[in-house]
Amino acid sequence: MSTSLALRSSLPRITARRAPVAFAQVRKATSSSTEYVPGGPIYKGTVNDPTTFPPPSKTHGSYHWAFERLLSAGLVPLTGAAFVMSPTAHPVLDGLLGVSLVMHSHIGFDSVIVDYVHPRKFPILGPLATWTLRASTVGVLVGIYKFNTEDVGLTELIAKVWTA
Amino acid sequence: MQSLARSALRPALRARSFATSAARAQAAAVEKQPLMKEFKIYRWNPDEPEKKPTLQSYTIDLNQCGPMILDALIKIKNEVDPTLTFRRSCREGICGSCAMNIDGQNTLACLCRIDRNAGKNSKIYPLPHMYIVKDLVPDLTLFYKQYKSIEPYLKNDNPPEKGEFLQSQEDRRKLDGMYECILCACCSTSCPSYWWNQDEYLGPATLMAAYRWIADSRDAYAAERKEHLQNELSMYRCHTIFNCARTCPKGLNPAAAIAKIKLELAAD
Repeated sequence: MSTSLALRSSLPRITARRAPVAFAQVRKATSSSTEYVPGGPIYKGTVNDPTTFPPPSKTHGSYHWAFERLLSAGLVPLTGAAFVMSPTAHPVLDGLLGVSLVMHSHIGFDSVIVDYVHPRKFPILGPLATWTLRASTVGVLVGIYKFNTEDVGLTELIAKVWTA
Repeated sequence: MQSLARSALRPALRARSFATSAARAQAAAVEKQPLMKEFKIYRWNPDEPEKKPTLQSYTIDLNQCGPMILDALIKIKNEVDPTLTFRRSCREGICGSCAMNIDGQNTLACLCRIDRNAGKNSKIYPLPHMYIVKDLVPDLTLFYKQYKSIEPYLKNDNPPEKGEFLQSQEDRRKLDGMYECILCACCSTSCPSYWWNQDEYLGPATLMAAYRWIADSRDAYAAERKEHLQNELSMYRCHTIFNCARTCPKGLNPAAAIAKIKLELAAD
């Protein structure tokens, strides 16, 4: 890190003209840094080092993927069931649909954040977006619980809006 | 008797056919009207970094040029503008050097026919979303570093005592459609997930290479190879967009390979 900074400061005249250039040899001299420079080189190590893998985590890997697929697939019969059956007679179905929908949306929005505003590249905006999403998910869950227990419930609302 | 007559006739026939065909070819070449087509090519010079990249227009006669985009590029470089820079080597789609974005599609310039419609120009860009070294030459360093990270070679601690690894025809068939990859980077650079997160996401080319070794019956490190991919970004940024399968100039299907890795990881 410090060597790379020293290298960088000792090479200003050479690199200044080529600063925005992806110029392999200049980068090789300065690429011992691992920091991300927007619009600049993002290599770690020399050009001959392989990239590294983050520590393995099934929670973020296959479990997350399988859960996401099962949830999406499960929503199809759940939506159909809520459409056919009377929601007021089956409050559990109504509640299940509400929770699944919110989880499905949460995973979808989270995927968007990971793709476009990952905390790795956006140190302020990334975590802000993640926590905003978490807060709104919790808020929506509480809202749906209240709406389902104290008011007509989710399915009934959709049916009413549909016929209105 | 008959054969004798035929063999006696043959030299004369041959000489005649040679003469006429050569004359016909020469006459045809002279008669062909010039077919001028415009090529708009991305230009950027690292020696003048303050100048923004531009599309430079070249017009060449397609009747004095080979059929492929690469032929046109070589003709432009030879006859019009020697500063035009691009990679090329084998001119037959096996080296993967001349990968570029032609009329909005990542492909190999040597396998891409020139559209003979002279009324429409052809736009040629380097592979999208890569750092550019010059003109049509992208910097593929990270792509190669990622390929190296999946250890693309046979790993087995118990080699057979003598001879070679034996493989059933069925097991060998599992590698078809994967070993043909020439690492031209057309698929990876067509993938939006790779555009946004290429420092962490491996991209379709590397993932297919990873599965080529996971699927290989002779390799003993499939579990370790799979565990490398068990995280948020290395593989699971694939959202099955299928740009990779659509763009592959070799007709391979990286998306299918990634789907198989996902299935194997889910079944673990």
